[in-house]
Amino acid sequence: MIKIFTIVQKELCAYFKSPIACIVLVVTVSVFNIFFYMIIDQNREATLRDVFQVMEFMFVFLVPLFTMRVFAEEKSTGTMEFLMTTPTSNTAIVVGKYLGSFLFFSLIVSTTLVYYLVIEYFGHPDRAATATGILGLWLEGGLFVAVGVLASSWTRSQVIAAISSYAILFSLYFSITFSKYVSAPAQEFLQYFSTMTHAANFSVGVVAPGDVVYYLSGIFCCLFLARISVENRLWR
Amino acid sequence: MIVAQNLTKNFGKVEALKDISFEIGRGEIVGFLGKNGAGKTTLMRILASYLSPTSGKVLIAGKDIARHSLFARRNIGYLPETPPLYTNMTVREYLKFAARLKDIPPARLRPSVDKVMDDCRLRYVQNRLIANLSKGYKQRIGIAQAIINDPEILILDEPTSGLDPVQIQQVRKLMKDIEYKRTVLLSTHILSEIEQTARRILIVNRGKIIVDQSVKGLLGQYPGLTLEDIFLELNPPQAERADD
Repeated sequence: MIKIFTIVQKELCAYFKSPIACIVLVVTVSVFNIFFYMIIDQNREATLRDVFQVMEFMFVFLVPLFTMRVFAEEKSTGTMEFLMTTPTSNTAIVVGKYLGSFLFFSLIVSTTLVYYLVIEYFGHPDRAATATGILGLWLEGGLFVAVGVLASSWTRSQVIAAISSYAILFSLYFSITFSKYVSAPAQEFLQYFSTMTHAANFSVGVVAPGDVVYYLSGIFCCLFLARISVENRLWR
Repeated sequence: MIVAQNLTKNFGKVEALKDISFEIGRGEIVGFLGKNGAGKTTLMRILASYLSPTSGKVLIAGKDIARHSLFARRNIGYLPETPPLYTNMTVREYLKFAARLKDIPPARLRPSVDKVMDDCRLRYVQNRLIANLSKGYKQRIGIAQAIINDPEILILDEPTSGLDPVQIQQVRKLMKDIEYKRTVLLSTHILSEIEQTARRILIVNRGKIIVDQSVKGLLGQYPGLTLEDIFLELNPPQAERADD
């Protein structure tokens, strides 16, 4: 447990000591602000539903940018050899690294709280729907980060890690758009498979156990596979 | 202390190690010698439980490292060929991180880091970023992380590469200081180094151990020859294949 905390701390420090954290935070928050302004200005509604949808879409592109380094960098600089020869279990390494990136992601999501304060000041938003919307976004991001960590565990090249995460995230996110071209059982599968389906429920205020299970099992599955990849040194 | 039994390691079709067996007792300083690509690093990585062998096993203090990996890692300090450093940390931060991962209790964290910095003469640069330090310092930080938790076994892969003569002397002195207290395995292709530090010598060639003897014994066997002459005789240049 202490070791997981040590690794989380180290991961967070790594983000904030390099320009990555600043660039990602400044760029994301600026882009989100612009969309927030545009959407509220156009809809004239006190709801963040559409803002969440845009953010969700942006995260597909954004998350791999900061998760690609998680394992790939350690492998290319040789520090992976150090980590794996200290008495630290592979589970602690994977979980620690995941939590580090997830906390960084949570920091980005937490900036949306400001949007809530703005619409609360000027209108009467549906508080529950906003809260579940943020929860949905947070869980979905958790899954995206887990996918990014998994892809990073496969290779020593950050570029390959990022591209693999994009491939997985795109198919996860957009699979619903292909569902109309296939027959019934496949259609249902594609709809269930898509993160968009589950996030939509959260943004209208519905917290269905099925959606929560979808995200949590996805995260668990990715971390489990990442652990196998780390244990078997699959990148060699 | 360390027992290797019939170790074999294949990377695809390449046989890096071929049926290697040896025993190393407590307090011994053993030098691994061999040309580049002979299999020294692979062997050390297996002993440090970073790689698993294709077949065969390694026992550390009687325990199989495949089954008791964490036990083995707790008792081994390992310095890989390139010092594994986080260049965005300061020296103190890095050593503190290493100490925490190596199970040093929080109360002893500071004294352990201070002691190892004194041993490796790193005090002067403790708050500098590792990225901005010279290779010699980096090598010493690598050694510092390996000895920070006082492991029984030290595995050092080319510990003096990139150091200037003064620093090499310091590393040798460090090694002399810990003799009899710890079991040390060091690999190098600098022959004088083995002669000055190690008691026993293992020469690896193309994945096999061709010599396993005390340094004195080996020199006695070839009277009048230096270690370098012996090494060249055992590893004749003409035997080198195109794929080596």
